[in-house]
Amino acid sequence: MAEWYLNEGKDNDVVLSTKACIVRNIKGYNFMPRLDDKDCQSLLDTVDGAIDKSVYSGGCAADFDKNTVLKLTRLQILGREANQMSNPDRKAFYYNDDASLSISVGSGEHLTVKAMAQGHDISVYKKAEKEALELEKKLDVAYSENYGFLTSNVRLAGTGLKILYTVALPAISKTEGGIAALTQRVGQYEWMIYPFAESGELADSGVYIIASVNTLGVTEDDVLRRGEMLISDVIKAERACREEIVSSKKEQTSDIYGRSFGTLRYAGLISRSEALQALGWIRLYHDYDDSGEIDLSWNTVDKLTMDILWEPGAPSRKNSQSMNLQRSRAQGIRNILKGDDRL
Amino acid sequence: MRCERCGKELTNRIIKINGITYCENCARMMGYDRFLRDPSDIMGNPFAPLDQIASSLMQMSELDFGNSTLTCPKCGMTLREFENEGRVGCIECYNTFNDNIIREMFKQQGNSEYAGRLPAQSAETDITTEDVPQIKKSAKTEKAVVETGVQEKAADKKDIGSETEKPEEKEPVKGKLSLDQLMKADLGMLSDEELEAGIKVAADAEEYRLASRLRDELKGRKDGGSNG
Repeated sequence: MAEWYLNEGKDNDVVLSTKACIVRNIKGYNFMPRLDDKDCQSLLDTVDGAIDKSVYSGGCAADFDKNTVLKLTRLQILGREANQMSNPDRKAFYYNDDASLSISVGSGEHLTVKAMAQGHDISVYKKAEKEALELEKKLDVAYSENYGFLTSNVRLAGTGLKILYTVALPAISKTEGGIAALTQRVGQYEWMIYPFAESGELADSGVYIIASVNTLGVTEDDVLRRGEMLISDVIKAERACREEIVSSKKEQTSDIYGRSFGTLRYAGLISRSEALQALGWIRLYHDYDDSGEIDLSWNTVDKLTMDILWEPGAPSRKNSQSMNLQRSRAQGIRNILKGDDRL
Repeated sequence: MRCERCGKELTNRIIKINGITYCENCARMMGYDRFLRDPSDIMGNPFAPLDQIASSLMQMSELDFGNSTLTCPKCGMTLREFENEGRVGCIECYNTFNDNIIREMFKQQGNSEYAGRLPAQSAETDITTEDVPQIKKSAKTEKAVVETGVQEKAADKKDIGSETEKPEEKEPVKGKLSLDQLMKADLGMLSDEELEAGIKVAADAEEYRLASRLRDELKGRKDGGSNG
């Protein structure tokens, strides 16, 4: 089955992905920061026994080889944080066929159920909830009437639910005061927005994460409804900014669009930052391109963006390694674009 | 910014005492009246500032270190560790550090009451993703499209654009009140359908206080309130 992020999602000119994460802990065990190795092994065994192996692959992270780790990072099952694979014998990861549904054990909380979909698709909540319900029936989860589902991180106590939209906002980013205004707007919904990366190569990617904040005082339905209203506003705002930029500087944006495509299509060496800048311009002008010379689907633009954002491995300090990475990245992009040309 | 004690949005005065942000009411209730005094109050008494500094210093050491030895009897986590890391070690910590946890929850979310689903029970939601209509291209862009000779493509886009404008011309949807009507309405008299539509209308108009009033009314009914 095709991996989840290769599917064609709604509003994928702006929304790269929608994710729903539900965290749970199991009664009878300390939370992760205070769980000793013996109890941790018992927790891993208990969860392993509750997981439907006809649906899920995976297991203890200590058994994963290097290629599996790379694959799970690319599929966004493993987080981007460097500590994701620290203490692998205290963690386990399970994932379904297309990796759209995963269960992490020992990553911050005992259990994290994550459902992901390409583009704008709130059905991920139902998918994650279905799996969470199965686990709640099989395992005795930590719950109190006052605080709801209890978590080690008290900011998650309550519903234990986070909804995250990863959005590409090249036009709002290029509009003066655009991100500040959007941040204010997002705050009015009591959600938050933050850049995909605060610093380093990906800092200017124009990609942001919009995430729910409240887990108390709100129902799951409230969170979902508010999120859908918010993301609809964000999509409209980004499209309006694209329209504004293109209509006021049609020739210049058309020129940068062509150059950006050329860079991606023919570069022999390319940094992540340069590739993402080029993809940002392509995203901005894509729907306005009427030359008929560049045949590029939104799916390809999104795949390239996500491949680069979730590229495994930290940036290398050694020049020769950095050159190798740039070379293989450029080759990978060329191959994908060549494939799209043939379509 | 919210008051870290009661969770209310801070509107007028922000009072920060020992690193904690309070609203005027809470500062008064906590006995920090002296922080609320107008500087002109102490002009008549030259020794007042010295008194204030001394008593503040005494109170600071009391507040900062008074409870730092509090330890969870089950997992051994201390209050200081919880405050530094923002994480607790076990279920029992929720009882041990109850006040501090509630304060942290208020600080982050302005609420500490659970309203979500029960374990092993599905949340009541029927929300689905709706298409966000594409915006219509400006006349300038349309012209540019036509000039490059891709009339067909331009015509297609025009059609899409005109479709997206249609909903605005439609008759008002049954059960949907205008913002003005919603503001004046007695919420108890509105139907569930009108409330639901009203939440969207209010949110679109950035009238979030009204939207949350409508939501609370609807939620109250679903929880077995006024409409049974």
